[in-house]
Amino acid sequence: MAINAAKLQASLQQFVANASNVQGASIVSPDGLALATSLPGGMDEERVAAMSAAMLSLGERIGRELSRGKIDRILVEGDHGYGILTSCTDDAVLLVLADQGAKLGIINLEIKNVMPELQRQLGGTAQPLSI
Amino acid sequence: MEIMRIVVTGPVGAGKSTFIRTISEIEVVDTDRKATDETADLKAQTTVAMDFGRLQFGPNVALHLYGTPGQERFDFMWDILIRKAHAFILLVGSHRPQDFRAARRILAFMRYRTKIPMLIALSHSDIPNSWAEEDIAIALGYPSPHNRPPIVRVNALDQSSVASTIVALIETYAQEQAKQLNSIGGKL
Repeated sequence: MAINAAKLQASLQQFVANASNVQGASIVSPDGLALATSLPGGMDEERVAAMSAAMLSLGERIGRELSRGKIDRILVEGDHGYGILTSCTDDAVLLVLADQGAKLGIINLEIKNVMPELQRQLGGTAQPLSI
Repeated sequence: MEIMRIVVTGPVGAGKSTFIRTISEIEVVDTDRKATDETADLKAQTTVAMDFGRLQFGPNVALHLYGTPGQERFDFMWDILIRKAHAFILLVGSHRPQDFRAARRILAFMRYRTKIPMLIALSHSDIPNSWAEEDIAIALGYPSPHNRPPIVRVNALDQSSVASTIVALIETYAQEQAKQLNSIGGKL
């Protein structure tokens, strides 16, 4: 099934607009290319995608070498908010940026809710975070 | 035990990951991912964060080798890795003149941040139509033979070739150290 990039982009934008405390989101390929993005102004989608891929591959490596198993999620928590990387399909990873007021449980639930739709559009099936 | 950190950088497909895999004593920590951009025409897998290898160099020195990703979108990794490096190698494929510009940009990026010793290593120089050393030096912005970093040829697949490149880098490093010591000595 072909991927409708515009529709994917629209779904992502809708997610960012509707989910509370979410400031931006991006779907990236494991080698660091953006597939769809809806990011706050001033963030370069190319850099965001590359950083997500680098983070993810190191995280996955930690999972393997330090016996943590398959990685489901990578969370970066700063005093200005969260960056959460979640596996989407074999060929895509979802990055969500949330502000410091976000409740982690709600954000996780929002991600879980939007995931099937994104996966359907990307034409993949749910996979643990392995790339 | 002293640790010396060496960064191996250069454009996509120069052989950075291979270089580190060839010489490392430990199993290399790689972060290879399937390439989906124009890199895919060149190779199936590409480094997205870093490669890490280790090499014991004499009884008291351990070398930590860090390989960077080649694509410019990963330049934040170049920055992270070069910050704590003692010396770096710019690996350039002599058969890909279209990448010399990228190599020059990497060089400028590193030089803007640090003045640590470096050398240029030319890989793939056995391939027909690969450029001559002198021409590559000029293409990389070193027209004068008197004022350029050492340039060596390397076969990234050959352990002794990679080892002699590292020895050459350490010699350069030692010379720079001696020069600095002398200049301090001169002032006293």
